[in-house]
Amino acid sequence: MNKKKALPIIVVLVVMLSLALSGCTSPDNSASGSQGASNGQTVIKFMHLWPEGSSNAQYTIVNKIIQDYEKQHPDIKIQTEILGNDQYREKLKVLASSNELPDVGMTWSDGFLKPYVEGQLFTPLDDVIDANLKDNFIPGVKESYAIDGKTYGMPLELNISYIFYNKELFKKYNLQVPKTYSEFKNIVKTLNDNGVIPAAVGNKEGWPGSFWFMYLADRIGGPTLLTDVIHGKRSFDDPAIVKAAEEVQSLVDMNTFEKGNSGLSNDEAKGYFMNEQAAMFLTATWELPNYTTSPDVPQAFKDKIGYFKFPLYEGGKGTDINSYVGGPGVGLFVAENSEVKEQAKDFAAFLVKEWGDKSVTDAGVIPATKVDTAGKKLDPMYVEILKDLSSASNVTTYFDTQASPNVAELHHDLIAALFGKQITPQQFVQQTAAALAEESN
Amino acid sequence: MNIMNEFAAHKRSGTISDTRVKASFGSRLGFGVLYLILGILAVIQIYPLFWLFLFSLKTNQEVFGMSPFALPQHPQWANYPKVWSQGHINLYFFNSVWYTVVAVLLTIILASFVTFAITRMNWKLSRFVLGLFIVGLMIPLHSTLIPLFNFFKHMHLINNPLSVILSYTAFNLPVTIMILLGFYQAIPREIEEAGVMDGCSVHRIFLRIVLPLTTPVLATTAIINMIYNWNEFVFVNTFISSDRWKTLTVGVNNFVGQYLTDWGAIGATLMISILPILIAFLLLSNRIVEGLAAGSVKG
Amino acid sequence: MKAVMSNKSAIALYVLPALLLILIIIYIPLVLTGYYGMMDWKGFAPMKFIGLDNYNKLIHDSMFWKSTYHSVLLGICSTFSLLIYLAVSMVLASRIKGANLFRKIYLIPMLLSSVAIAQLWSKIYDPSNGMLNHLLTSIGIQNPPLWLSDPNIVLFAIFVPIVWQYAGFYIIIYYAALKNVSEEVIEAATIDGATPWQVASRIKLPLISPVFKVTIILALVGSLKYFDLIFVMTGGGPNHASEVMASYMYGEAFSKYNFGYGSAVGFALLLICLLMTWLIRKLTTSGEDVQY
Repeated sequence: MNKKKALPIIVVLVVMLSLALSGCTSPDNSASGSQGASNGQTVIKFMHLWPEGSSNAQYTIVNKIIQDYEKQHPDIKIQTEILGNDQYREKLKVLASSNELPDVGMTWSDGFLKPYVEGQLFTPLDDVIDANLKDNFIPGVKESYAIDGKTYGMPLELNISYIFYNKELFKKYNLQVPKTYSEFKNIVKTLNDNGVIPAAVGNKEGWPGSFWFMYLADRIGGPTLLTDVIHGKRSFDDPAIVKAAEEVQSLVDMNTFEKGNSGLSNDEAKGYFMNEQAAMFLTATWELPNYTTSPDVPQAFKDKIGYFKFPLYEGGKGTDINSYVGGPGVGLFVAENSEVKEQAKDFAAFLVKEWGDKSVTDAGVIPATKVDTAGKKLDPMYVEILKDLSSASNVTTYFDTQASPNVAELHHDLIAALFGKQITPQQFVQQTAAALAEESN
Repeated sequence: MNIMNEFAAHKRSGTISDTRVKASFGSRLGFGVLYLILGILAVIQIYPLFWLFLFSLKTNQEVFGMSPFALPQHPQWANYPKVWSQGHINLYFFNSVWYTVVAVLLTIILASFVTFAITRMNWKLSRFVLGLFIVGLMIPLHSTLIPLFNFFKHMHLINNPLSVILSYTAFNLPVTIMILLGFYQAIPREIEEAGVMDGCSVHRIFLRIVLPLTTPVLATTAIINMIYNWNEFVFVNTFISSDRWKTLTVGVNNFVGQYLTDWGAIGATLMISILPILIAFLLLSNRIVEGLAAGSVKG
Repeated sequence: MKAVMSNKSAIALYVLPALLLILIIIYIPLVLTGYYGMMDWKGFAPMKFIGLDNYNKLIHDSMFWKSTYHSVLLGICSTFSLLIYLAVSMVLASRIKGANLFRKIYLIPMLLSSVAIAQLWSKIYDPSNGMLNHLLTSIGIQNPPLWLSDPNIVLFAIFVPIVWQYAGFYIIIYYAALKNVSEEVIEAATIDGATPWQVASRIKLPLISPVFKVTIILALVGSLKYFDLIFVMTGGGPNHASEVMASYMYGEAFSKYNFGYGSAVGFALLLICLLMTWLIRKLTTSGEDVQY
């Protein structure tokens, strides 16, 4: 009796499960593995982080390049997977842990790249670079993707940072672009006296505040200081770094930044600048479209925005105002265990090259490859900045990018604490130094 | 505790009117205060929906900096068509619906079986098995993510909706069983004793007698499961790679950029994705009451 | 009776499908996590077996204990907030006009995804432009708190949206439980002259106590492993002032690439959940109704 009654239940379950299964296992060519290509094509899996919604320009360029490549190589099919920034990072990690990386994907430089290279997940790209892109990169950029003399990534972007400012607010209070740090401090004071927030910074994630710290370290201790620290040539408890951390807190004491900045995200802080509540914003050139070409920002606002280089610190060792804090953004890697490694390398090189031609004009992104501005219609701000880039004496890659993920996380936490005055400059320096020392052991 | 006093005051007034005595001034005041509190709570709870709607019509500049109360100066209605075409919303929408429905049904059926067996039937390992389900409640999702990905990879279920549906079901079983548990325990034993007397099989007792009694709580767990599955993000993002199988929550992701996030579009996506769940909730929510009415007729 | 209700094949049929599912999807990965916890593993480079070193490190890791403390605090507060939910549910379950509407409205925040909730509350808490501080300055408070950046307040500030978000969850559970209490019992008591307060405390509460105990465990365990809103709103900051166990685990495993150590933290989280559940059971068990 009982068994007979059990039957309908089992049937229901089986039907449900099989329904679920049949719904899923139906053929899906676009998602099958690299071997399962239809009509003999080789499939290259490519994962990137420029979704159509948020990064339309980049998305469109990449799609165009893929189409061109497929046209030139009818035997190859590029299969893309697109994720947003944070999800991209998380998924890459999961994929890597299961040895399932896409054939071509995006990576960041230095500290991010290192564990992947140590895990032998990325393949060296020197041969394709030499063959296709030998002198194309801006000097020093591809080295950020090199470990032990081999290059594991081909950079796509290069950003340097400036203080962007509101010209109208400056004019209103008779302020001039500062050349020195004491002039800068006077500006802060004047703006404060008039109830304008001098500068916006969002420290929830730490890195925006780090820009201020890195520039101060560069200006006080000289342009190679932080890079030397990473390479163990100097120690993080260098007096110049202590001084830089102290200057950060004295800026905080002068009310340079909006209140509660350690709880604000970069986007939230940016709102203060975009709504003209804050007069200055230290950020990198990825923001340029907002000040030049973006259709979402009113022209009246764009016209008000100018930029200046971080001022020089009196008595500091960094005496060249053309030394920048910046660094490459994303670059392309090719997976070591890719079954179509050679084709993947060729496609990646093609993409980097084409990207360099199109990215400035079409997306407002400064590529890591040299740009020939002649004959291109560019906003004056781009022309200026590309000129700056070619006359830059030094670009210090962001400290958090250069450091290991461990130290980078700690650095972000400590920067937020430094801006929030929860720790002293000495503690800031000691804790970072301790973490760096632990790693080198 | 204030609310409790209000409640007592109200109950007093309720019984007085039940016995057809005219309500005193004091109780009417208590009643007024009670409604005021309920009303304020309601405004606090419903405001986000209104806020989200405004949010979906704003530009990034208005989202940040301007007061959240402020109305959008030039409502960005274009966010909606943009989301529809660029966010693949139309495609994701269908996936969200059927993953949610299948997973909810599967969870509720399996959980009812288990709860019935544990609370009403006699077997040695019942407490141990219950323990297993309860401990399942305590496992943080992220700590299983990498092993789980490996498992699905070996089963060739990566980029297959089954991986998502099975994960939803497994991770929702503990909480569903926990909720059902309290209700099953409250059902008087006499009910199934009567069934046994009448010579019913165990399946008949379960399907015809006990299960119908639990309709209201089934509706409750269905709502809860639905909300969880509908808003779930991590599993879909990790196990699914092709657009074809992604869901609405991942659609939001399409507007989070490397350096620029389109908040208005995110608002519009969220707004579109909340409507179906809201409707489903309103319908199911009535089922709770109907189920109760049906139950009380039988009881 | 006994024979029918101990039918082995029926039990197997009812229990096995679900049991298999959680064994495969939850327990096998869990065992693997415990195993990874004994490794020095970055997530992809070769693993190195280090025995209990990670657990040893954990015991001496002040940041882990700080995050545990925050989680436990959150758990205790959430448990107490159940009383508010219960009170509201009792009001709604009594026959007042509009109860149905209110009940539905109260659940709305739960329908929103964490992204939306985090955005909303960031707007409320924004130090200068936020709703809350606008309100406070307009009633004459000069220096309103910097909600999400003041380490002394941030945990409390995060707790409020959590209470708000989960209100609907518990209210519909309590509501269904209260509605299950037979009307005749209440009417009988009322006729016998019981005051509404007595009806509530002597009849309704005892009858729904199994449900209440279950919700205590749900609330406690839920907040011990709570992650979503904290991760989006503060990322555990500033300076770990709102770090909880789950965000700490995530940070170690996914941001710092210490997958081995992160797994150990995840495993410790499970043990602490078990311990707390056991404590709650000890505290709430009365008489023979020991079922779980």
